[in-house]
Amino acid sequence: MRRSTWNTRKSVIMGMICLLLFVQEASYVSADGKTDAYHYSFWGDAVPAPAAYEATTIITGKKLNTTPMKEPSDMHVTANQHVFVLDSGNGRIIEMDRNFKLVRTIDSFVQEGKEDHFKNPQGLYVTEKGHMLVADSDNHRVVHLDEQGKLVKIVSEPKSDLLTADFQFKPMRIVMDKGERIYVMAEGVFDGFMEFSADGTFSSFIGANRVQVDPVEYLWKRFATREQRSQMVMFTPTEFTNLDMDEEGFIYATSGDRGKDPVKKLNAQGTDILRREGYQTPQGDLLYTQEAGPSRLIDVDVGDSDMYSVLDSSKGRIFTYNGDGYLLHIFGGIGNRLGQFNTPVALERAGDRMLVLDKALGEITVFQTTEYGRTLHEAVRSYYNGDEDQSSVLFAQAAEMNANLEYAYAGIGKALLRQKEYAESAKYFKRSMEPKGYSKAFLLYRKELLREHFSWMMSGLFLAVAAFVTIIIVRRQKRRTTNAGIK
Amino acid sequence: MQASSKQMYQYPLHVIFHPFDGYWELKYERNQRNSLLIAFMILVLLVITKILHAQYSGFLINLSNPKYLNSLLEMVYVIIPVLFWCVANWSLTTLMDGEGKFSEIFMSTCFALVPLFLIHFPWIWLSLVISAQETAFYYFSNALAIAWTVYLLFVGNMTVHQYSPAKTVLTMLLTLVAMAFMAFLCLLFFSLVQQIVSFVVTIYQELVLRG
Repeated sequence: MRRSTWNTRKSVIMGMICLLLFVQEASYVSADGKTDAYHYSFWGDAVPAPAAYEATTIITGKKLNTTPMKEPSDMHVTANQHVFVLDSGNGRIIEMDRNFKLVRTIDSFVQEGKEDHFKNPQGLYVTEKGHMLVADSDNHRVVHLDEQGKLVKIVSEPKSDLLTADFQFKPMRIVMDKGERIYVMAEGVFDGFMEFSADGTFSSFIGANRVQVDPVEYLWKRFATREQRSQMVMFTPTEFTNLDMDEEGFIYATSGDRGKDPVKKLNAQGTDILRREGYQTPQGDLLYTQEAGPSRLIDVDVGDSDMYSVLDSSKGRIFTYNGDGYLLHIFGGIGNRLGQFNTPVALERAGDRMLVLDKALGEITVFQTTEYGRTLHEAVRSYYNGDEDQSSVLFAQAAEMNANLEYAYAGIGKALLRQKEYAESAKYFKRSMEPKGYSKAFLLYRKELLREHFSWMMSGLFLAVAAFVTIIIVRRQKRRTTNAGIK
Repeated sequence: MQASSKQMYQYPLHVIFHPFDGYWELKYERNQRNSLLIAFMILVLLVITKILHAQYSGFLINLSNPKYLNSLLEMVYVIIPVLFWCVANWSLTTLMDGEGKFSEIFMSTCFALVPLFLIHFPWIWLSLVISAQETAFYYFSNALAIAWTVYLLFVGNMTVHQYSPAKTVLTMLLTLVAMAFMAFLCLLFFSLVQQIVSFVVTIYQELVLRG
């Protein structure tokens, strides 16, 4: 009897040991599309996160009481939230108001008394004044229309020593700054963006991507014969895939394949000034399978307070970063449900809403921020505007909704630091993996602690030194007496 | 007994501060068994330091992901390099007229690691009370510990094998190369064994499923 109880007990214990040995921590969600919303932690793990946006409606040509859109390729939203869609297949521009009611369609313009049409236009930009710029790709020109749709100017076939004689101008994407300079991303141009001055003459290239050389490939190339070399892939700089301009006139650009930095912020000289202070550099997905490859970023949209979103065409996801380069949220995906896309091509923010244009389906998916998304955006906004108290409250709220949002804890830490809660502040900075802030808070905490306990620490030290000296003296005395005894 | 236990901790300290004397004593004068015991203890202490360092050192200098902390692996990271070094050094020095026995090489190597333990161990706790600017001290003492260890290794090698300084340096560099070879061979061996095992397993499964 006793033996059998021992046996059962033994098996139970063995079972428990086995459980202990093979126990696994709760696994993280992976970035393979099982959940819609996730986030990347400091360590680069994909962790669950609440959704920041949810899809509300889909806008199609039918809903606008017009013919269906055919392969639309670009979209722009103005400050008063009018949505302009470039319906490439039909060669027209569709304008909607903020409630997605059709305002007008523009499919032609008058040039020197004759009606002219677009031919497969790819890029659209609408200025603050309402002027429309169309990259009329198959006509090899850029068309500049005013707010009424009347022609202002046409930019075609730039002439310059910088361009080869057989250069064919095929504009794909376009922006215009406040000084009416036009920046064009053209097909087959590896030297960066083409900059045109206000009167439409080509002035220069800006912001070329650097050539990325794979050292192994370079080595092979050194050993290869001329014939072999001609068979190999050339080292060419990566082309940009899209560009957008923020309120201050900085160009945000994305490049397709993952070079060193797929997202760039270019200043007037064409130097990259994007801040990359976040846990990881802005690049879309960190985790990906070998077959799927890294994110292919094909559009960028700059919102207010330096927040920007990029669109990944391979997985259909939208990544939003703040001005410092911290990842804020991820949403979207490829699929058949509402809120997923087939071939997303363009991304625009319209106030609280985010619009994603699907080329193959010819529709726009409208996303509305959730409470979590609004809180997070508002927190970033208040921090950007210097209202740290407000931002820390909002960050605390955001962190409550998403405990995995390590970035938010730094915001709380900053507020606590100002409230002179140094120990607490250090704790939050540590949770946020923010060594700079942690160090600052900790230093103040240490100073405070030392001030408080200085008196007894100093007296303790003094006593210890006194005791040590006494012991040495006593020992020496003893030794002297024993030595004397030997003598 | 009292005296020997006192010497137990005094001797390694003597070696690191007076390496020429210390290593000479180690080779010719001291009880080998006792020294071997000390060497093992140093290794154990270093392992403990390494594990505690990964787990408890301050946030500002500790950039290891706690999720992937594995004490067994930390142990391997200490013991394998030491073992590789000793084996490579022994293999080379037998060919290069070294006078050291394997046990002497092992002991001298372990004694050379004392500064690493001595400097890193207090830093586990000191690192908890430093700020970002003060991490410079941490990195400095880290470099100091490594430099000291390398110096001790040099003196140890020279004394144990009775080499000239130039030859010692050469041997040490060659030892590093030999270590790389050993690592390569080990990886090759393991990957081959793995493939053989998976081959056998596949055949077994095939037989079971067909039969």
